[in-house]
Amino acid sequence: MRDILFWLSGAVLAFLVTAGAFLLLANLAIAPSAKSLTSGQTPGGSGGTVDLELDTERLASLEPLRDESLDLVVENEGGERLSDVNVTLSVSSENTALSDSRYYRRTVEMIPAGGAADVRFEFDLLPSEQPEAKPPAATQEPSREILELRATTPEGNSTVRTVILPP
Amino acid sequence: MLFKARSARGFVLFSIAALLVAGCAHADEEVSIAPLAPASGRVDPGLGPGTRALSSGPGYKGSPSWSPRGDRIAFTVDGYVVDKPTDSGDQRRWTTRDFFAEDTEWVSENTLMILGATQPTKTEEISSSLYKALAREDSLGLEKVGKEVLALGRGREGLVFALGSNTHESGLALVRGDGRVYRPYTRPIKGRVAALSPSPAGDDGVLAVRPPGDREISGLSIFDLRKGEGREIARLDGNQEILGTPQWTEQGLYFVAGKKSTSLDSDGAEPLYYLYHVPQEGGAPEPAPAVGEDFVAASIGVSPDGERLAVIGRLNPKSPTNLYVLDPLAEDFTAVTTNEDMEIKTEPDDLAWSPGGESVAVIARGTPSTEPEVRAEPADRLLKDFYNLYEIPVGRPEDAP
Repeated sequence: MRDILFWLSGAVLAFLVTAGAFLLLANLAIAPSAKSLTSGQTPGGSGGTVDLELDTERLASLEPLRDESLDLVVENEGGERLSDVNVTLSVSSENTALSDSRYYRRTVEMIPAGGAADVRFEFDLLPSEQPEAKPPAATQEPSREILELRATTPEGNSTVRTVILPP
Repeated sequence: MLFKARSARGFVLFSIAALLVAGCAHADEEVSIAPLAPASGRVDPGLGPGTRALSSGPGYKGSPSWSPRGDRIAFTVDGYVVDKPTDSGDQRRWTTRDFFAEDTEWVSENTLMILGATQPTKTEEISSSLYKALAREDSLGLEKVGKEVLALGRGREGLVFALGSNTHESGLALVRGDGRVYRPYTRPIKGRVAALSPSPAGDDGVLAVRPPGDREISGLSIFDLRKGEGREIARLDGNQEILGTPQWTEQGLYFVAGKKSTSLDSDGAEPLYYLYHVPQEGGAPEPAPAVGEDFVAASIGVSPDGERLAVIGRLNPKSPTNLYVLDPLAEDFTAVTTNEDMEIKTEPDDLAWSPGGESVAVIARGTPSTEPEVRAEPADRLLKDFYNLYEIPVGRPEDAP
């Protein structure tokens, strides 16, 4: 009985070793391994990644004013502390012929691993001045304002959120 | 023996654990990958399989025009002109900020003709001129070719344009591939030309004309570009007007027309325009065959071989706007897109056949929201949120089953 068990165990072991060898080879062949396709994140060097959380209710209440403000949360999704995370806001018009985009920048000194930091932007959301005259083919629709928020770690990993505000 | 069995069992368990670890472990830590550039591959923005985005990002785009080889596409964005490779690559700007472009057409691989005007003052009336622009990296210089230009259309022989400063008559001229006026026609057209397109063979042109004393663009004329002679072949009655550019097909002339209305009708509905057909010899316009009597047409464009007509319109006033292809000879009318969610732009110059006739470029966007929209991509990569160009394969007649 013991002999039978011994030989059965041996057969199972031989099968597992062979299968393991194939698994190992397969893993080597497809290296580097599958990457997460996290939307809105741009790879840089190694290091932690960040995420941006926006308050949609606050976004809906934004007005075309010179002194608007927006709070957002920068989350450290990695397992290490992050320092000197750059957060930028660009405000531009849907009308790309208008070149008066505004840029704002904040630096978050430190975000603990798995933690978050609040960032506040005060910015000019007055619509860009439209040209005095338009060609017949130009749209009659008012242009929407676009906010582009980007958080970038010192290693170059960045996350972006684009907000399109209705007119 | 007991020792052997125990050690073998332990080894088996260890091997299974090792295998599980080796099989499930990843060699690298998670790294994110930048999203694929929209213009570099096929996407499905809601316009059907095989559709390819030719542009991305914000900007009010219009007047697409394929280069003669079909490897680049030019278009207007918020009044300026750009072009870009149709597969992938950066766009190239052709005009400066103080210039408003209405329309653009290629006349050679490195020459664009641009209809537009420099920025007028508040009181100044816009008068468009035709300019030649060469593909040079170091300059955005334009050379004026003709002033008071009313309309233009590209044909096999070159670019034909209409010009004139009064409502009684217009002139025509032909521009060849070097961008210079090759032939100004001496015999004028009666009335003001609103739109024109050369026949696919390049010998003739069809014109939408506002006749002298008429308030509507009600006249349809043809012009023999060899002899330099034109004649009116149809006139619309009543309050009807021609919308956009009439097209010359192998099976006669097609145009979109309807009751003129500057605003919404009394019942709040948009004015409705329909597709009509007139033989080349002239006669009374008749509704285009095969499209259905409820079909509401917006813009049309003839294929390079003259055998098919791309039509943007709606099957009935309540249907979504889609792209259709009419084969006038076979009287076959096929829906190329069956889109429910995208707004396809319906202005007259907003569709263009590729030089080989395999695809049509249209401009479309998703329905704008009344609430703020948050996207996880940079603005210049977004597609559906803004009007963008899409290449839609339409097949060829011989591909049909």
